[in-house]
Amino acid sequence: MKVGLPRALLFHHYGEGWTSFLDSIGIEPVISASTTGEVVVSGAVHADNETCLPVKVFTGHLLELREKVDAVLVPRVISQHRGTKACPKYLGLPDMARSMGGELPPVLSPLMDLADRRGRWTEEWRRLARDLGATGKAAAEAVSRMLDSLRPLEPQRSAGEPTGFPVGVAGHLYNVYDERVSLGLLDRVRSMGAEPVTVEQVPRRDVRRQLRTLDRKIRWDFENRIVGAVLHWSRTASVEGVVYVNSFACGPGSMIGALIEDEFSRRPSIPLMSVTLDEHSAEAGLLTRIEAFLDMLKHISRTAPPGRRPRGGGP
Amino acid sequence: MNINVPRCGSLQFMARDLCDRLGLGYVETPEYSERTVEIGVTLAPELVCFPMKVLIGSAVEALESGADTLVMVAGYGPCRFNYFAEIQKRILEREGYRFRLLTFDSPRDTPREFYNNLRALLPESRTGLVGMLRQVALALRKGRALDEIEKRAMALRALEAEEGAVDQAAAESREALSAAISKAEIEEAGVLARRLFGRVALDDERPHLRVGVVGEMLVSMEPYFNFDILNWLARRDAAVERSLYTSDIFTPGGHPVLGFDDRMIESAASPYVCHEIGGHGHVNVAATADYARRGFDAVVHFFPFTCLPEVIAKTVFVRIAGEFEMPILSISIDEQTGRAGMQTRLEALVDLAWSNRERKLARGAHARAAAGA
Repeated sequence: MKVGLPRALLFHHYGEGWTSFLDSIGIEPVISASTTGEVVVSGAVHADNETCLPVKVFTGHLLELREKVDAVLVPRVISQHRGTKACPKYLGLPDMARSMGGELPPVLSPLMDLADRRGRWTEEWRRLARDLGATGKAAAEAVSRMLDSLRPLEPQRSAGEPTGFPVGVAGHLYNVYDERVSLGLLDRVRSMGAEPVTVEQVPRRDVRRQLRTLDRKIRWDFENRIVGAVLHWSRTASVEGVVYVNSFACGPGSMIGALIEDEFSRRPSIPLMSVTLDEHSAEAGLLTRIEAFLDMLKHISRTAPPGRRPRGGGP
Repeated sequence: MNINVPRCGSLQFMARDLCDRLGLGYVETPEYSERTVEIGVTLAPELVCFPMKVLIGSAVEALESGADTLVMVAGYGPCRFNYFAEIQKRILEREGYRFRLLTFDSPRDTPREFYNNLRALLPESRTGLVGMLRQVALALRKGRALDEIEKRAMALRALEAEEGAVDQAAAESREALSAAISKAEIEEAGVLARRLFGRVALDDERPHLRVGVVGEMLVSMEPYFNFDILNWLARRDAAVERSLYTSDIFTPGGHPVLGFDDRMIESAASPYVCHEIGGHGHVNVAATADYARRGFDAVVHFFPFTCLPEVIAKTVFVRIAGEFEMPILSISIDEQTGRAGMQTRLEALVDLAWSNRERKLARGAHARAAAGA
């Protein structure tokens, strides 16, 4: 039996755990190939037109898999940390997948509620493993292997002090690290002589410290991370500027985008550029904007003496 | 202290009632208008959803007419509404307005903030904390009674034998309810409303459609945004049921006016949506599935452009519509929505519902004829 995993959305966070779960109960995981132009187009055609770009991309990956597998695994991710909630799109993702009707193989959707007691949500995974033919012992083993690979919750990508000309690239991992979706943003920044720094390179501790300065708590976990990291960059002036990457129709993204812009306007901050991606985003337009933004940053860093450089006075 | 809350279903009625009970000043929110939307669109960030733009415009208009304390309800749900109030505060501050914003979350989520908000109102109110909570419960009860009146009116309006009879019964019931203060008086007003509606002469023989109205709170409940859908449908001989009532939203554990408790919502929405999806997506899917199972002729679904929970609901409605052969029209509303386009689509939906009805009747007649022969 083959079970498909779409390489989209939260696969970029939890994919390793899900793959190892399937592996250890002897089921072959089939992961869809990297996003291509066709995947985006077929997703945009089949998904509801008002869903966000990542959900459309996810739909494209699902359709990509449908001929190749006997079932698809779309876990229902409820929360990432205590006190946080997931975006509604993650909550309803399996239901949206099932509504595509006869076009898809059965959708397996065990609950994943990391803030909840472990015994409670993993029960659904154990049951799923047994339904897929594993023994009770193998099922427990598979669950514990999945939990193990979830432990370092975020992939540590190129940690360490950035060198050269650091520019913050803030956005969801599934947008920023998907080459097709972000139109190769990270590489472009690099090829223009800057060093892209992403949000998961900012230590949790610094993120938390910045979040404490907000009047109202943000309850979306990934957005917490993004806001905390961006504020950290700005207030410590540890990067030259920030590119905030958001997808059109992203709900949490629209709110924190507004929040970041407001925070930046309230005190001396580093320059910020917002980029909104959708399925129509064209490479040339993005390229020009990034080029212009980086040119501006370089101009500032050349002309403004270090003491006059915008530096946040925040905590 | 001049308090103001947004205009949404019976919220305005409840808030005014509560302020009267507590002896607090209240400023009526101006009716929604083109100007409200215009101000909101100018001030709000481009990508936030339509209700937020409207609420910002509406808050500006309320501040202009003398409000100094804005009360918002937020809650920590997964939908973006949970961060509305904060962004609204920042925008209005930036524009130079001076005001106080009290954001109420569910007391279960943040008991301390809830308590502090109540404390902020106490010095000006004529009750103590316990008295205040008691008055809140009474105001909610009164809101529920008002919503029940609305519910009856929308169910009967299309069937009245004499034009205007339902609206008159509703107006009289509302008047009696407005004067009610104690629990007994509110209940009495409820009994009177039932009697008034019971007296309305109905034309039971008139062929009519049964149509459900579901969607996001603001656009599904506020006539300005949904083309006054309740009256529009009534004029086309449709008895209407609606999924959301403001008093239901403030009632923990269920939706009494709709007639669903949480467990019923879960079982009605299954297998289409099997988990809470934020906003009112879950209850809307439950209500729509229920309408479909009860053989309704059509459902109209209003939601703000890119609304997170309602877009999930919309995706799922495609499946429900297919399984039950019941047309569901999803209309997305924002500052660009044109009235003419909306009317054309609604008319098409009603026509479709009528022709479905006739086809089903014909099919039934065929079957009967075949059985007789």
